[in-house]
Amino acid sequence: MEEDILTTLKILIIGESGVGKSSLLLRFVEDNFDPEQTLTIGVDFKTKRMTIDGNTVKLAIWDTAGQERFRTLTPSYYRDAQGAILVFDVSSYSSFSKLEVWLNELETYSTKSNIVKMIIGNKIDVDRREVTREEAMRFARRHQTLYIEASAKTKDGVHVAFEELVHKIIQTPGLWENFGSDHIHVGVLENATQSGCASYCSLV
Amino acid sequence: MADILSETVLPEDLKKFEKIYHEQLYKNDVTPKAQFEYAWCLVRSKYPADIQKGIILLEELYKTHEEGQRDYLYYLAIGSARLKEYSKAMNYVRSFLTIEPGNQQVLSLQQTIKKKMEKEGLVGMAMAGGVVLAVGAIVGVGMAIANKAK
Ligand SMILES: Nc1nc2c(ncn2[C@@H]2O[C@H](COP(=O)(O)OP(=O)(O)OP(=O)(O)O)[C@@H](O)[C@H]2O)c(=O)[nH]1
Ligand SMILES: [Mg+2]
Repeated sequence: MEEDILTTLKILIIGESGVGKSSLLLRFVEDNFDPEQTLTIGVDFKTKRMTIDGNTVKLAIWDTAGQERFRTLTPSYYRDAQGAILVFDVSSYSSFSKLEVWLNELETYSTKSNIVKMIIGNKIDVDRREVTREEAMRFARRHQTLYIEASAKTKDGVHVAFEELVHKIIQTPGLWENFGSDHIHVGVLENATQSGCASYCSLV
Repeated sequence: MADILSETVLPEDLKKFEKIYHEQLYKNDVTPKAQFEYAWCLVRSKYPADIQKGIILLEELYKTHEEGQRDYLYYLAIGSARLKEYSKAMNYVRSFLTIEPGNQQVLSLQQTIKKKMEKEGLVGMAMAGGVVLAVGAIVGVGMAIANKAK
């Protein structure tokens, strides 16, 4: 299985507490939703394999806590991330106005200058919207990030969001190749010694 | 690939929070925040002695600062698992889950620890003796968290 993996990508999820970061991740990785999702402690981590344009990549996703008391330490998880998802809640204007702060935070602490950024407007299933699609799109364009609307609850937009992000990362030269080629090398060597038998034996 | 039990703190981060903690310690006025931040760095160190120190700080916080108990319990589980003290780690996880049974983050930590134990051929060990004692110590305070959780 491992030999098919093109590379491992590090993805980061940031944004205010309660906007649905962990819920989006749970929907994406386990296709599940928990109306009683509890607030994240520090950071959480999940992996997921994904096939895009014929390539399989492994995503290592770091889901950070938005609560104030964790803020001093969460930026240390930004290093080496190739993609960042900034989440706000379309039914909370204040979560949208904080995006600027999160973008600055990313600017300060991310170590890859060409990191791919995506904004997700979550909870579009909620009736009382406070942020229009147009306003969010304008903001995203101004800051040169991707924008997608989603609902972790109904599943809308969730998979597409991750697909687009990964697609964009793969297309960005220099963002993953170095890391990737190292990784592939190791993989190939391991396979040469180990699965030499594995594949042969299974054929016989 | 680094996961929650293998990623490590940057030395400069550890130093930074160590300094803040020690400055407060010197003035005999350590805030739970500074102690927690330092402990959070320590349990992510690659040196077992640091992790051990982090665990001691977290245990102290757990007893003295009710408000952050779920945070401390979570990082106590992580610290213990990193020291390969799996039965202790599983106990922390279990005490957490008796209070918040559906907590996705802690359920997934439980899976991660189990997988690591399987890899190291330690399955079943957690069932062995010496476990029950530690739980008793925690469950008492557990009630306090249950009240605080909401
Ligand atoms: N209606 C609706 N509720 C949602 C949606 N996504 C998340 N929620 C709810 O919003 C609350 C907060 O969701 P979380 O995923 O815990 O938020 P978070 O951003 O991870 O919060 P922190 O971990 O504190 O940073 C939970 O009660 C979720 O069930 C959504 O798309 N629609
Ligand atoms: Mg969360």
